[in-house]
Amino acid sequence: MVRLYRWLIRLSPAALRREYGAAMEETFARRLNDARASGFSTSVRVCGRELAGLIELLLSERWGAPARLRRQRQRMQSRGKAGHMDAVGREIQHAARRLVRSPAFTLAAVLTLALAIGANAAIFTVVYRVVLNPLPYPDSDRLIALDYGFPTRNINSGVKYMSWQLYYQLADRARTLERVAVYNISGVTLTGTGGNPEQIQISRATPSLASVLRVEPALGRWFTEQEGVPGSPPPVVLSHGLWVRRYGRDPAIVGRSLTVDGLPTTVVGVMPASFAFPNARTDAWIAAQSTRGTASFLFTVMGVARLRDGTTVIGARTEMTQLIADLSRVSPTQRGWISTAIPLQDAVVGQIARTLWILLASVGLVLLLACANVANLFLVRSNARQREVAVRQALGAGSRGLAGYFLAESVLLSIAGGVIGLGLSWGAVRLLVAFAPVNLPRLEEVRLDASVLAFTLALSLLMAAAFGAIPWLAPLPASLHESGRSNTANRGRHRARHLLMGGQVALALVLVVFSGLMLRSFQKLRTVDPGFDARSALTFRVALPDREYTSRRSAVATHRAILDRLSAMSGVTAASASTCLPLTASCFGNMVVPEGVAEDGTHRPWVTFHAVAGGYFEATGIRLLRGRFIDRGDVERGEPVVVVNKALADALFPNQDPLGKRFRSATRPTSSLNTPPWLEIVGVVPNTPVASLAEPTPAAQLYMPMSIAGGPDIPGGTLLGPSVSKMSYVVRAATPPSNLVAAVRTAIGEIDPNLALFEVQSLEDILDRAAAQMAFTMILIIIAASVALMLGVIGIYGVMSYIVSQRTGEIGVRLALGADPARVAGMIIKQGGLVAIAGVIVGLGLAYAGSRLIASLLYGVSARDPAVFATTTVLLLTVALLACWLPARRGARLSPLEALRTE
Amino acid sequence: MNRVIDDDESLRPALTDLAFHIVIALGNGPAHGYAIGKDVEEQSGGRLDSSTGTLYQALHRLKEEGLIASAAPPERSDERRKYFQLTERGRRAAEAEARRLHALVRTARKRNLYPQRA
Repeated sequence: MVRLYRWLIRLSPAALRREYGAAMEETFARRLNDARASGFSTSVRVCGRELAGLIELLLSERWGAPARLRRQRQRMQSRGKAGHMDAVGREIQHAARRLVRSPAFTLAAVLTLALAIGANAAIFTVVYRVVLNPLPYPDSDRLIALDYGFPTRNINSGVKYMSWQLYYQLADRARTLERVAVYNISGVTLTGTGGNPEQIQISRATPSLASVLRVEPALGRWFTEQEGVPGSPPPVVLSHGLWVRRYGRDPAIVGRSLTVDGLPTTVVGVMPASFAFPNARTDAWIAAQSTRGTASFLFTVMGVARLRDGTTVIGARTEMTQLIADLSRVSPTQRGWISTAIPLQDAVVGQIARTLWILLASVGLVLLLACANVANLFLVRSNARQREVAVRQALGAGSRGLAGYFLAESVLLSIAGGVIGLGLSWGAVRLLVAFAPVNLPRLEEVRLDASVLAFTLALSLLMAAAFGAIPWLAPLPASLHESGRSNTANRGRHRARHLLMGGQVALALVLVVFSGLMLRSFQKLRTVDPGFDARSALTFRVALPDREYTSRRSAVATHRAILDRLSAMSGVTAASASTCLPLTASCFGNMVVPEGVAEDGTHRPWVTFHAVAGGYFEATGIRLLRGRFIDRGDVERGEPVVVVNKALADALFPNQDPLGKRFRSATRPTSSLNTPPWLEIVGVVPNTPVASLAEPTPAAQLYMPMSIAGGPDIPGGTLLGPSVSKMSYVVRAATPPSNLVAAVRTAIGEIDPNLALFEVQSLEDILDRAAAQMAFTMILIIIAASVALMLGVIGIYGVMSYIVSQRTGEIGVRLALGADPARVAGMIIKQGGLVAIAGVIVGLGLAYAGSRLIASLLYGVSARDPAVFATTTVLLLTVALLACWLPARRGARLSPLEALRTE
Repeated sequence: MNRVIDDDESLRPALTDLAFHIVIALGNGPAHGYAIGKDVEEQSGGRLDSSTGTLYQALHRLKEEGLIASAAPPERSDERRKYFQLTERGRRAAEAEARRLHALVRTARKRNLYPQRA
């Protein structure tokens, strides 16, 4: 038996064995001897007890509390600093256990935080990648977009187009610019190997573009200077997307021949996937060809330049304005223009930066609301924890120990919220990118990256610090005796809760007011009379290649043949065409001169020209104000007649009847070409928007028969009008537009099987797209406001429920004494209601002050619109009072006995 | 929170039953485990007859807390035996515990739960 005992002792921890093993064996042996002297049963009893005692000792020493204590002590003794880390780790472990034991609190806090952090991370991703992140070119802060203004014509800036003449002037003589490039954007038909004829977007660019942007093709090379001179077919460089999509990443693409608009061109390079100049839709670049001698004065290209080291944008503007003035001495169309160049990043990002910052501020408000909710949860919880905290204090925990107690929980909750929030933001970013308006700049660059992770982590830690400070905001009782009994401490906590509740109401009101303003704006925008009837009309563009349709006459005849076929289709009530449709910018434009006025090139309106087929106004549903429309006969006879919109009529012949009056397209006095013919006004139509629905001033527009406009055989310098090679068709039918597409393709195919349709969409789509950006912004703000309202209501309901539970005893007494339950409820509602009203007042002040910030997003409504402010305030107050009423009603419905018993 | 309060024995938690008996057993002077166990059994009137494992575990705790210490064995004793003695701290702890129990008995007397002193 002693041997067995000895063997069992070997199982004990080494230190114990070393110190007491022998002594224990000796003691056991003596006790066994004593027991044997008392009899067999005593021996058995003693043996059993001894062995059980030893086994219990072994288990306890190996795995029980003593073992843990020992390990702790060892760790603390061996390394001082590690002991501290050990304490932190322990604190976090305990906190995790506490949180797991309160699943409702933990889930509520984590989900609230995750939602708010996720929303912030998603919007931050867009803001960072679109607005803050520099453009993906080396030293991109030195790049400027060439922009112009015409102050005497009230155009302060924003004209992006310039002439080739100005390009050469700047390239040769600008000392502030290291390099200049010009480019344009157009659509062409790609045929040849790779697939069916395809309409692609290309950019014709000078060979200097690659050195301005400091980019290089991934395969092959960029254009040489020689290729920028007319003489041989210009080569083409493909985009990465087109190379993958149409040519299956063919490594032997360089050197291959393609057919672009009927002309053969050679591929000399492929750009890297990240290159997206001037925008992400560009499929290829073709060398723009020109010489100084034949440089056009027409404003047909856009410019970009790199500043020389040490120069500023202002310096460059000054020099360029001077160079324009110099040029205007030989080229009068340049007179009056000034340079208003801006950093390229600003030009690319445009107005969207402001919108995005406002969106970020909105989700920031939602985050504050979420914090208030979680802070309230913490306050309630810290109340319940009073006793535990008091015990800790009694056992010697200082302020550091208590801070650790609260901080551990808030860190765990915030980190958990941050991780889940990051996951939510990944999904939200994908949704944002999928549903964002297509013209959102740099959309292709939006994705989660390290900076978003850092932002989320920083936000989470900020939250953790804020919640960890809760106990200091609502001080806890100083000792065990006081816990649960101190009036001052209770009052402090009540005050904190009311403050949070009022704050939530204020923040929610701000967001609800802003969303109300956006909603009203959007309504106003959609009720803007676009001047045409967008219902049930299909539109598409057809481009007649110059190689096959070499004259204006053949182009017009083809368009007429197509229109005849379309009109003959069943269900079609009207069909026509125009060189450009409403709300599709970049139409042909020029100044016009009324008859009887000397040509001096200034103070004449800039007009958008539309070359139309007969029946255009009937097809688009544009009303007639005076006179008559352009009809098929005008087109066939090539009559020099024109229909103008109200804006042009007022500009040319204010306070007069414009019918019968004449004007013509303005040209340079020194032009050797024939002057354009006088055009007689035969009709006046309402204004229609050219670029956007929210145009501050309506654009002057004219509509001319397509047979007297421009064409492939008409020199551009004659400024007769837009080329009719490319026309946009409008087909109005009783059936939905999408049903017509197949039949339309067939009809056109019968005229010329090589013609491709592109930009197929309904007039309704065009109208929707014009409001798309505002719709997108509005939807996001409404989502933020809805979440804010929901969080606010939950917060108010939570606080009021808690107050009711705290006052249950008092309620019981009142009810027992015969008080009317309705009055009791009213007393509680009054308490909550006063806080809500205070919050509303603060919120109104904040909304009023901050409304100027969102004024730029609005249309047709003042940022301080009283109706919106009033409606949203009433809505919020109603909802807040409802959230107070429900718990109050519940409290007043308690039986007095129950209420008193609870106390 | 795990640091033993050094300075004021009156503030330390009360000794367990077994620990107090061990401390009293050592009040007479150093003793080895078997003798301590025997003394404890006698003092408690047979109530505290713990196993060797339990006894040595208690001795180990008291040693860790500084209330007892290893003592030099007398000459010609069994070298397996381990001797213990009371430390100054242990003496103070025993005194504090006795004082606490004395106060409790006084209260019990006042409330007629315990016979008055003759």
